[in-house]
Amino acid sequence: MKTPRFLAVITATAMLAIAGCGSDDDDDGGAPNAEKATQAKASGNVTWCIGKDTTGAFGTVVDNFNKANPNANVKLLELPENADDQRRLQIQRLRAKNTECDVLGADVIWVPEYVGQGWVKDVSDFISKNGDKFIPSTVDTTEVDGKNYAVPFNTNAGFIYYRTDQVSEAPKDWETLYKEAAKDDGVVYQGFRYEGLTVNFLELVYSAGGSVVSDDGKQATADSQEVKDVLKFMADGIKNGAVPKAVTTYKEEESRRAFESGNATFMRNWPYAYALGKESKLADKFDIATFPGFAGNEGAGVIGGYNLAISAFSKNPEGALAFIEFTTTPEQQKIMATDASLPPVIASVYDDPAVKKAMPFAEDLRTAVEQAKPRPVSPVYPQITAAIYDNVYAALQGDMSPDEAASKMNDEIQKAIETF
Amino acid sequence: MEAATARLGRGGRRKKEKSYGSEERRLATLLLSPAMAVIVLVAAYPIGYAVWLSLTEYSLREPGKWRFAGFDNYTEAFGSTEFWDAVKNTFIFTGISVTLELVIGLGMALAMHSAFKGRGLLRTVVLVPWAVLTVVSAITWRTLFEPNLGLAPTVLDKIGIAGNVVWLGQEGYAMAVMILADVWKTAPFMALLLLAGLQVIPDDVYDAAKVDGATTWQRFQRITLPLLVPAILVALIFRTLDALRIFDLPFVLTGGTNGTSTLSLIAQQELTTNNLIGYGSALSVLTFVVVMAVSFIYIRTVGGNIRSLAED
Repeated sequence: MKTPRFLAVITATAMLAIAGCGSDDDDDGGAPNAEKATQAKASGNVTWCIGKDTTGAFGTVVDNFNKANPNANVKLLELPENADDQRRLQIQRLRAKNTECDVLGADVIWVPEYVGQGWVKDVSDFISKNGDKFIPSTVDTTEVDGKNYAVPFNTNAGFIYYRTDQVSEAPKDWETLYKEAAKDDGVVYQGFRYEGLTVNFLELVYSAGGSVVSDDGKQATADSQEVKDVLKFMADGIKNGAVPKAVTTYKEEESRRAFESGNATFMRNWPYAYALGKESKLADKFDIATFPGFAGNEGAGVIGGYNLAISAFSKNPEGALAFIEFTTTPEQQKIMATDASLPPVIASVYDDPAVKKAMPFAEDLRTAVEQAKPRPVSPVYPQITAAIYDNVYAALQGDMSPDEAASKMNDEIQKAIETF
Repeated sequence: MEAATARLGRGGRRKKEKSYGSEERRLATLLLSPAMAVIVLVAAYPIGYAVWLSLTEYSLREPGKWRFAGFDNYTEAFGSTEFWDAVKNTFIFTGISVTLELVIGLGMALAMHSAFKGRGLLRTVVLVPWAVLTVVSAITWRTLFEPNLGLAPTVLDKIGIAGNVVWLGQEGYAMAVMILADVWKTAPFMALLLLAGLQVIPDDVYDAAKVDGATTWQRFQRITLPLLVPAILVALIFRTLDALRIFDLPFVLTGGTNGTSTLSLIAQQELTTNNLIGYGSALSVLTFVVVMAVSFIYIRTVGGNIRSLAED
């Protein structure tokens, strides 16, 4: 009984003391110590709402910031590990105009939706001043209608994994890759009806030079020859045995298990599968490559990762922005790369020896990120992606011809855009 | 079951009720009112709110937009193949899984009812699948049926059956796995309910039948089955209503692909993934109506059956 009250008294006293110090600093901290002032420019409380800190790297960054900014206090609010749950919890708070979260850790595809609802602040000024230091493709994911509403935090892009004991080098184009796959043990990817299929499909479409939505996000462009060709290519892959039928049930983990058990010659997957592969029986029998081209075009990927946005309901947007800026400094980016394997958004960090040691594929990854493009930027992205994966899935299963699937996809995307 | 027993109870006590004084009635109403208030708060209000939402065009995609839409959402549902596919899948799943569960559960109950050593242990062991969380068991079944690597395809391939089938990736097969997972999990539950029914049948009846020279089959057919009907019907109500609302199995096993989308699953997808509150609520209400209609039919027949049995 006594202890809690005792603790409460201590805490209250400590808080008074801190508050006191804070105001003291404000009073006399102006002129004499300019250097200290620039370092410690952030003040007030900031809450950072992002997915679970499984490796402790986020906590380290928060501690570093709080040490460097004695007047500020950033608190980490961990959301669940699962991305859909993170989005749901953020939306619940934002819909209720909850002021709890100042900085939102948002998957790159959520930003346009949040912008459409007026839930995040415009950070165009920050990007126009600091944009150059980021890998350009990562900044593209923060842009809606010419303005920036988030700051890149970490990024991601897929790779081709291939068996070095079966093929001598990574194929230069997708057509060759499928041909070799048909002769050997096939290529596996994420073919289940979900977001992953949208990514796998768009990687091919982008590599073919096509698109599904116009650059301004106002027009569906899926009823094009490129999209039809890609759908036909994917459906034929399953028919002629280059791709096992089982991919229609595969997400990331299923494809990784199939590849690691030696059941596939090629695999499309994210970089996370590299370290795990090196611990498997295939350890010295595989290598990675960036995406090959398609139909004479250069290869392109789809960009992933997380951005940091400032909640429109934040009571301390300045503090929030100061913290965001801090997370994008090379030192903090390096901590997240080495401790949490989160690919940096600053190009130079990839050259750091410690980062290269933690991610032996760092150089390939930077290339992959640089050649990657964002998924359609639209406030109705959830509906657009559903229109994509539903129809690609139908084409893979042979329920629809590639041409039918392309035109139905186009109609559904157009309908989704028009409802907003 | 509650409804059924309540009906039975009321039937027996009906005459006495009339003699209650009006004061006692008032007291009863007064004593019941807190419970009724709670029910209204936690059950009636959300259901009413869902019905109300289903009559509106309300989507989280478009902030501020709200419109009373009448029956538009229902018209849209009835006009979509997605809805009718889900209805078809839900009824196929319910029909087959509940039938299998009844047959297997009855077999298990009869086995557990006969006297033998270690009966207590068997009864406990049999219930284990039912104690496992559905989501956990669904993940287990998905892993078992993982192409190439899963236990099931590997074994089936070795013995030369369905070697080329991608179980969760093909129509029909995916439904078969879903039914299998459900039967594995809930047949023990069915068995438990039926076992309770078996235990109330007095031994004298069997002794008398034996004296009269009835064979085992005749005893089962003429004594066990008829006396077990009330228990069977109660178990059927439970399982049917559960099966009609099936969500976790398709959600984990297939995500509703390949002919496994069910009413609850599409309602959830429209509500949470697509953020269509109005349309999603309409689908939820339709699911509710289907479940209510089926339970109404059951209660009617069960009530009638039990009463006629009791009168016999």
